[in-house]
Amino acid sequence: MNERQSPSDMPWRNGSEPFVRIVDVSRSYGPVVAVNNVSLDIYKGELFCLLGSSGCGKTTLLRMLAGLETVSSGRIEIDGQDMAGISPWDRPTNIMFQSYALFPHMNVERNIAYGLYRDGVPRTEVTDRVADMIKLVQLSGLERRKPDQLSGGQRQRVALARSLIKRPKLLLLDEPLAALDKKLREETQFELVNIQEKLGVTFVVVTHDQEEAMTLATRIGVMRNGVIEQIAEPREIYEYPLNRFVADFIGSVNMFEGVVSETDPDRTLIRCEDADMTITVSHGVSCSPNQRLWFALRPEKPEISRHRPDGVDNVVEGVVEEIAYRGNLSIFRVRLKTGKQIDLTRTNQERSAEEPITWDDPVFVSWDAASGVVLTS
Amino acid sequence: MTTAVGSFFLKHRRLLVIAVPMVWLLIFFLAPFLVVFKISFSEAAMARPPYLPLTSWEDGRLLITLNLGNYQFLLEDPLYLLSLISSVQIAAVSTIFALLIGYPMAWYIARSPSKRRNILLMLVILPFWTSFLLRVYAWIGILRSTGVINNTLLALGIIDEPLVMLQTNFAVYIGIVYTYLPFMILPLYANLSRLDPALLEAAADLGAKPATTFLTVILPMSLPGIIAGSMLVFIPAIGEFVIPALLGGPDTLMIGKILWTEFFNNRDWPVASAVAMVLLAIIVLPLVRFRRARG
Amino acid sequence: MKRSPLLSIMALIGFIFLYAPILSLVVYSFNESSLVTVWSGFSTKWYGELLRDPQILGAAWISLKVAVASATISLVLGTMASLALVRYGRFRFRELFSGMTTAPLVMPDVITGISLLLLFVTMEALFGWPAGRGLLTIIIAHTTFCMAYVAVVVETRLINVDRSVEEAAADLGAKPLRIFFDVTLPSIAPALVSGWLLAFTLSLDDLVIASFVAGPGSTTLPMLIFSKVRLGVSPDVNALATILIGLVAIGIAISAFVMTRNGRSSETDA
Repeated sequence: MNERQSPSDMPWRNGSEPFVRIVDVSRSYGPVVAVNNVSLDIYKGELFCLLGSSGCGKTTLLRMLAGLETVSSGRIEIDGQDMAGISPWDRPTNIMFQSYALFPHMNVERNIAYGLYRDGVPRTEVTDRVADMIKLVQLSGLERRKPDQLSGGQRQRVALARSLIKRPKLLLLDEPLAALDKKLREETQFELVNIQEKLGVTFVVVTHDQEEAMTLATRIGVMRNGVIEQIAEPREIYEYPLNRFVADFIGSVNMFEGVVSETDPDRTLIRCEDADMTITVSHGVSCSPNQRLWFALRPEKPEISRHRPDGVDNVVEGVVEEIAYRGNLSIFRVRLKTGKQIDLTRTNQERSAEEPITWDDPVFVSWDAASGVVLTS
Repeated sequence: MTTAVGSFFLKHRRLLVIAVPMVWLLIFFLAPFLVVFKISFSEAAMARPPYLPLTSWEDGRLLITLNLGNYQFLLEDPLYLLSLISSVQIAAVSTIFALLIGYPMAWYIARSPSKRRNILLMLVILPFWTSFLLRVYAWIGILRSTGVINNTLLALGIIDEPLVMLQTNFAVYIGIVYTYLPFMILPLYANLSRLDPALLEAAADLGAKPATTFLTVILPMSLPGIIAGSMLVFIPAIGEFVIPALLGGPDTLMIGKILWTEFFNNRDWPVASAVAMVLLAIIVLPLVRFRRARG
Repeated sequence: MKRSPLLSIMALIGFIFLYAPILSLVVYSFNESSLVTVWSGFSTKWYGELLRDPQILGAAWISLKVAVASATISLVLGTMASLALVRYGRFRFRELFSGMTTAPLVMPDVITGISLLLLFVTMEALFGWPAGRGLLTIIIAHTTFCMAYVAVVVETRLINVDRSVEEAAADLGAKPLRIFFDVTLPSIAPALVSGWLLAFTLSLDDLVIASFVAGPGSTTLPMLIFSKVRLGVSPDVNALATILIGLVAIGIAISAFVMTRNGRSSETDA
């Protein structure tokens, strides 16, 4: 999904002008600060995801882009134009609400056509464009139905069509898939990306579902308490989180806490008491001596074996405490001598391995120095 | 809209939406009370209008005459004090009975399956849409000595002489409860229908018998509805006129009747105004309580 | 929680209590005897007398005119008031405004009546308007207390309007006035209808206030009925009552039919 290969697909890498600039934007409600001095750039053609749990400010930020919330301080520019004082009906943005917000007394056609009429588009053109859009979102045959006669998935497509038909410079989506069931959600994820790539519209999607963000986004902005913790492509966020919060929020992670004992430009040693081991990491870290650090290790990186492996930088002993069999993979929970638990996932490539590792087996967990990342906060 | 006036309206849209009803209410709701207040200090006179003006010019001087005599009159004549007490008492008793009758009905409707609920609610509201006056009138036909109840009882031989039910306080109680019942049921229903049945099941599961559940869970939670309904009955009932006029007797003392009599029969507008002021003073407290209950 | 049979019986008694008087009105309207409650035979003569009585017809016509005017004006004012209270957040004198909009709901009629009459008298003395009491003063009086009821009905509905649909309209290019007509108004339409009907009924039914502020030649139907029934029962009043009850019942049946038809049509295509 969203695998872009060449630098021209990834304008944030080659220094082009950003399409949307959010500069030092804050929003407070009395003493409560919902968005705290956020700056971020969004590039044309991106599918940018704002990811965070409820209350982190992502929806507020989205609504500020739409003009539905005022900006307490800071500046928002879209395509070079300062949005200060511009009301929602005059903005080049369109928003798709989490609840879809369809006009209950209008049928599908009129719902979709609404925005075009507001732009003064002549009737004949409206009819054509609405027909095209209905085909695009696969709602043919349902034109005359009212919202209460549609299923959740159908309503979602009407909402999408209604916003897309105006060809906005920026399409804002607030938890677009939250109300759908799992299977429908997965299918719709594919459709969304297809439509976005086909039309080339810049999307900003707000979601609390990190898997969804990873699937959809060209870049993700992780938010917490009104602040952006990290902005990066999905792969980078997953493999190189900037802090413990991001590491923990995305996917699962094994966190080791320790004290730095040595650091060179391409090697760091961390003395970790709760695993009773010294962890070797293949990159340097800028920190003060004896500083407390954390080592984040994704569960698919380590190896598990009955015999101590040779030539591996990090090896630790433990006992298999739990195994969760998930069909395509198994999750092993290994308890170390110190009591700390490490989670490992292994794909079940062999149908019936000889002597498969089972509960209470003594095992060795190992990973090489490049498998994880050191975090200073 | 391109005209200057049009764009003025558009820009000051908010102001207009607030101002128009506000000004109307200031003139036709608030100002009248001030007028009543003023006239309650005046003196009755054979004139049109039948009271003396408060201010007059004499030798180039402005004289303001405040006649406290009306209020004095009210305080001295025990009739008025008794009427006030009686009005509050009758209103209170009627409210309690309305609550006792209305609560089970509201509960019954709230616990009914939703299809039937709408029909039942309509049945409660339907009498409300028919004329209040006519429904009170109906009770005359039922309670009088040759009315429905007496005819039936006489015919069945249960009594020998017709019961005196009309022109009594008893009839007034019935009248008030009857006409104000929908006002009690609807807020109660609104409250009870939002009660989560899971709460009752939880109470039962934890060992509460139905009566206990009612006293410890349902009743406290329906308190806002009880207050709202009671205020909707109690406050207007204090100042009721029609019901005591048609169903009550000469010894039914209600302040609404007194006000009417002073105004229309005695043509004593100042005293009537003073009575109105006193009545207003009495209902101000429950009125404030009602406003707070509505949130 | 199951409903105990005791509760059902209590509720049934309550409903009987509510409807028995109405039933008696209807039954005795067909009584031949002018004593009304002493049955002497079936007859519809009172209906005939009723419809030939110019006094009653005249009063009914006046009441109708007043009710339509009051309901319509109070609908507009009441809707404006509830819009201001629900949507406009804090503004100066909001507390006062809110109080003035709610107080008429429980204000005893005698107070409203006397206060308005005295206002009209004073205004006439000071400005010459209103010139005497008549239809205009009754309409003004009714509008004033009806708008409180309209405000309550509309407010309840307005609070539950889905704001995100209005935001969607704004986002799609609609300016505030357009949003009001395209989204808000259709959304509160049922409340507007029931508000109007409520105001209409209350105006039609009012006795006390009209008695205070009416003038010669503007006797309303309730005023006429009251003067008749003060002296005792009167069979043409029973006939009038039955006609009114019949009209209300028909009205409710129609509205119930319309509502179920609307509900059904949105299920057929699903």
